Amino acid sequence: MHETIQAIILGLLTGGVYALMASGQTLIFGVLKVVNLAQGALVILAAYLSSSLFVSFGIDPFLTVPIVAPALFLLGAAVQWCLLRPLHRSDASQLSLLVTFAVALGIEGVLTLVYKSDYRTIQPSYANRSWTVAGYRIGEVRLAACLLSLAVLGALALLLGRTRFGRAVRATVQNPTAARLLGVEGDRVAALGYGLGAATAAAAGAVYGMVYSFNPNSHYDLISRLLSIVVLGGLGSLGGTVVAALAMGVVSALVGALISPVWSDFSFFVVLLAVLLVRPQGLFGARLRGAL
Amino acid sequence: MPVLLELRGVTAGYGAGEVLHGVDLTLDQGEVLCLIGPNGAGKSTVLRVVSGLLRTGRGRVLLRGEPLDRLSPRERLLRGIVQVPQERSLFPAMTVWDNLLMGGYLLDGTRSGRREVRRRADALAERFPLLAERRRASAGSLSGGEQKQVELARALLLEPALMLLDEPSIGLEPRARRAVFDTVGALAADGRTILLVEQNARSGLAAADRGAVLESGRVRLTGSGAELLADPRVARLYLGAGGEPQAQQPDPHSRER
Repeated sequence: MHETIQAIILGLLTGGVYALMASGQTLIFGVLKVVNLAQGALVILAAYLSSSLFVSFGIDPFLTVPIVAPALFLLGAAVQWCLLRPLHRSDASQLSLLVTFAVALGIEGVLTLVYKSDYRTIQPSYANRSWTVAGYRIGEVRLAACLLSLAVLGALALLLGRTRFGRAVRATVQNPTAARLLGVEGDRVAALGYGLGAATAAAAGAVYGMVYSFNPNSHYDLISRLLSIVVLGGLGSLGGTVVAALAMGVVSALVGALISPVWSDFSFFVVLLAVLLVRPQGLFGARLRGAL
Repeated sequence: MPVLLELRGVTAGYGAGEVLHGVDLTLDQGEVLCLIGPNGAGKSTVLRVVSGLLRTGRGRVLLRGEPLDRLSPRERLLRGIVQVPQERSLFPAMTVWDNLLMGGYLLDGTRSGRREVRRRADALAERFPLLAERRRASAGSLSGGEQKQVELARALLLEPALMLLDEPSIGLEPRARRAVFDTVGALAADGRTILLVEQNARSGLAAADRGAVLESGRVRLTGSGAELLADPRVARLYLGAGGEPQAQQPDPHSRER
């Protein structure tokens, strides 16, 4: 029993970090109808930038987020403006897959050139410290990472729900032509939306680098998980994404602890397949479609 | 009345296919003009060219003598051109009230703009009781007729100089259709300038000061509603191109103005 609860705690904390990474993916899909294959690479890029700032300047990995996030915001907005915007509307959804994959490969290439392909982790002094609460171990980094995720997700929800920009985003997601007819500049909203999605990858990257070891190729593994979460949550639903990420985290941790770590990753995809067999639209796909 | 909108030899199309082959049309300030014609004649395309959703090929679109052709939909909106498209244009997951406020999106970037948008929204809620009654309902839960009323109210939030209404009655049940034409009539009585596209020629022309018949991308006839309805060429055009019988059938909801 103790082992089960410990696994659930670990799973929830890990799921929180995945929720952050995948929420950017969901936002981009919602606004642009683009399956952003570069999201994993953006997370890894952020992990490297965070690692460099920590190693070279001694900046705490969590404090690198406010530096790396604006940089990735600009990169994301530039990718949308320069590479995705010019795509012809009729075949944009297929071509955007190729374009975002190309961006992922480009980032991977640059990272390999600059950092080589060795694995690394970000190791602040508190990386391996943990608290023990009622006999259960809670890693400091994982807890802080999960809290950061919740804070960023909360900020994202406020931004979408309460601001003029948020209304423009939601309007564009729900009815792009109508939004345009009311004066919403679709291209600008799309660029800001992609930028915002990339910025969440920045927050996630710093955290990812402390929890997992990574190299420039790590984005392949990451993107397959992110896509699974986004599909499981019901494409385009932020709430669904968070629930799916937590569910995936818990299932992986439980399987890892109770059966074997070998099956842990695999269980991720088994859950996806099982859910899609019963609910092809994902957990929240039908109810919240278009709501973000 | 001064001329508000003028189309001079406008061509436009989608991709390589040209839909409008030189449309000439004028619309006076305070006038309601109904554009009728068979399916595929280019009626909606005319509206899209005026609102800027579609670029003009050759020819010019002028508002109060100022060319619009290079302006984006947003810039045209700023000049007071509001389009209510044929397809549903509410944001289904937003509340009715938020949908209404989105009509003032261009204005609400500043504090005073936001106040103004709210003042206008409150005024519209008095005119359209539905807005107050279903204020917190999600727009997607409204019936088709109710949605159209919210769309029309939302279009009024910017106090437009020119309203483009694309088949507002399409797909609605008779009572809702009557309500739409009542609203159009009320707007006309207010002195609004409206370019109305209608498949239902009788109801459309009855609500308008003047009509224009579009066929194969050109304006073939213009005249008062009564003249056009009595014109045998109108009937022939309708039946000739795709057999649109609406112009022929007596419409129980038509009103003479």
